[in-house]
Amino acid sequence: MSWLPCGIYHEHYRQDHAWWQTPFVRGKMLFLGLGIFVLLPFFDLISPDFGPYLLNVLVILLYTILAAMGVQLLIGFCGQVTLGHAAFVAVGAYTAALVLMHGPELARMTEVSNPLLALLVGICKLGVKAGLLYPAAIILAGLTAGLWCVLFGLPSAKVKGFYLIMTTIAAQWITVEFFITQYVSQIGGRAQAFSIMPDNFAIGPLVIDSDKKVYFLGVVLVLLLTAAMANLLRSKPGRAWIAIRDNDIAAEAMGVNIVTYKLLAFFVAGAMGGVAGVYWLNYNYIVSPEHFQWFWSLWWVGVILIGGVGSIHGTIFGSMFMVFVLEGLKFALIPLGDVFPQLLDRFLFIKEAVFGLAIALFLIYEPNGLAYRWWQLKNYFNLWPFSY
Amino acid sequence: MEVFLNLVISGIMVGSIYALVALGWVLIYKCSGVLNLAMGELTLIGAYVCLSLYTWFVRPIGQPTLAFLLALAGTLVIGACLGLLTERFFLRRMIGEPVLSVIMVTVGLSFFFKGVVEFIWGTDTRVFTPEVFSKKPIPLMGNIYLDSVYLWSFVASIILLIVFVSFFKYTRWGLAMQATADDEMAALSLGVSAKFVYALAWAIAFMAAGVGGTLLGNVNGINISVGYLGLLVLPAVVLGGLNSVPGAIVGGIIIGVLQNLADGYLSQFTPGGVKEVAPLAFMVILLLFKPYGLWGWERIERV
Repeated sequence: MSWLPCGIYHEHYRQDHAWWQTPFVRGKMLFLGLGIFVLLPFFDLISPDFGPYLLNVLVILLYTILAAMGVQLLIGFCGQVTLGHAAFVAVGAYTAALVLMHGPELARMTEVSNPLLALLVGICKLGVKAGLLYPAAIILAGLTAGLWCVLFGLPSAKVKGFYLIMTTIAAQWITVEFFITQYVSQIGGRAQAFSIMPDNFAIGPLVIDSDKKVYFLGVVLVLLLTAAMANLLRSKPGRAWIAIRDNDIAAEAMGVNIVTYKLLAFFVAGAMGGVAGVYWLNYNYIVSPEHFQWFWSLWWVGVILIGGVGSIHGTIFGSMFMVFVLEGLKFALIPLGDVFPQLLDRFLFIKEAVFGLAIALFLIYEPNGLAYRWWQLKNYFNLWPFSY
Repeated sequence: MEVFLNLVISGIMVGSIYALVALGWVLIYKCSGVLNLAMGELTLIGAYVCLSLYTWFVRPIGQPTLAFLLALAGTLVIGACLGLLTERFFLRRMIGEPVLSVIMVTVGLSFFFKGVVEFIWGTDTRVFTPEVFSKKPIPLMGNIYLDSVYLWSFVASIILLIVFVSFFKYTRWGLAMQATADDEMAALSLGVSAKFVYALAWAIAFMAAGVGGTLLGNVNGINISVGYLGLLVLPAVVLGGLNSVPGAIVGGIIIGVLQNLADGYLSQFTPGGVKEVAPLAFMVILLLFKPYGLWGWERIERV
């Protein structure tokens, strides 16, 4: 996107396709990496009060990015609007919860007569011993959520636009309000919420049980997913998705198998959502259908609209805007709380109203989102002092 | 058989409320092409405004029926004003923008309205006190009974449906709306103001939704879940066809019946929640086989 400085010429496609093309960008990324890996997580060494709070907000930010990335892929790059992504995040979270709850139980079983069950028990024993149960849960959650997402993406073969939106809304209600609340939550006779022991979240010898470790896991997941998405988008599936987004009939005429690629997009988006769900589980150690209300589906769509539809870093900007601005709102309202105590009691509702207004106003006044502003800002400094 | 008839009849009664709200939805879509996801919040606003007016009026007037009618009239006026304002400040700026943006503006509006409503009225369930309609069931025939609330809601929505339909058929403004819905360019060239028509559509949608919310609030009491009505409207309009006014009415009634039947017959097989999910599940199946509904226009797209 941004222009190269004068005098740099690419001689290979490899250079042309590189993510970070100039030393300046590489230096910038180094600083960003330092910030992410050193400054932010260890902020509590500088300020013991603010540091843990900051870490908490950052973990929520990472979760938002993870969840919104799948939405961005579907809406921003494949043009298939989803207003029910919380369903797929929920499926991921619940899959992982079930694996992590029942895996250790199975591993403790002895004297199994059924050969299939014995195989399962053996696998669980191995998994628990090697600390591979949690990574396996992440992968399984991604797969399940992806397949679940494909199931509700099937109508996209026939309908599009508003009709597809209807299907995804139905997906939300059927999955979360019916399937998970009424059936999955009842597994094992437990009421509503599943809780997992923190020591089950073990990757090899490393147990992810403190805020700092959760933060680092989130950073790694976000980096992996972002890299995967960026790479997908510059390879064949990504180009097919973008063609479908821009004009599906033209794409079909050009020989893109639109049904396959739409379903693939649904799968990948659902899988990303599933991973986000596992991350949520790891952050809270508890999962309940109330964490995946329809509100959150719309929230993530709002995130990408504010950040910028069709841009990866737009997702990140949007998440930052939503998380930080709404946290800031809380601080802005605290001084007012002495005068109007209602404001703090009903903060949740104010948050909702502000979120709604923010989406509406962004769409009216800045339809290209924050990513466009960022691009303009970069261009301004690229051309400075000869900007026009 | 009696159970079946009971379910069908009360389904038709509830369905008529859905039909009313669906009518408002279709109207906006037909006139301005906006797919409105804020319909549930419009019903919420209507219900709460009517409730507040009713509690204000009922003490000095003393007669519940008269107070309710006055409150309903007040709701219509306030709804119309809110509709005009919403159209002026939010939707008019979105004319010609991509469909997703317009939908998401209505989603944003729905959050805004919901937040404001919750902030003002809280989340507790409120009921109309004293009751407007008596809770005594009316015997129809044999063992089939009907709550009088349902009956009056049915009558009210039928009257309103007739009023709205004759408004479109016989008045100047209604004809202007029909013309715009049919062919906007031609209507513009004949001197119909599109802005006026859009504003009118929103005002009417707010009014229809407000009445729907009020009637439903009389049945179950008012809390935030009245807004769920906005979601039930979607299966109704998809079933009827997005741009068909009779379709919305028929669709609303069918969805009401279907929901009641599913609740009556299927809930014994599940732990619960069938009533909420059945219309949506039905909609998904419908979308797979007959996406344009009963009377919707099938769009043929070219590159």
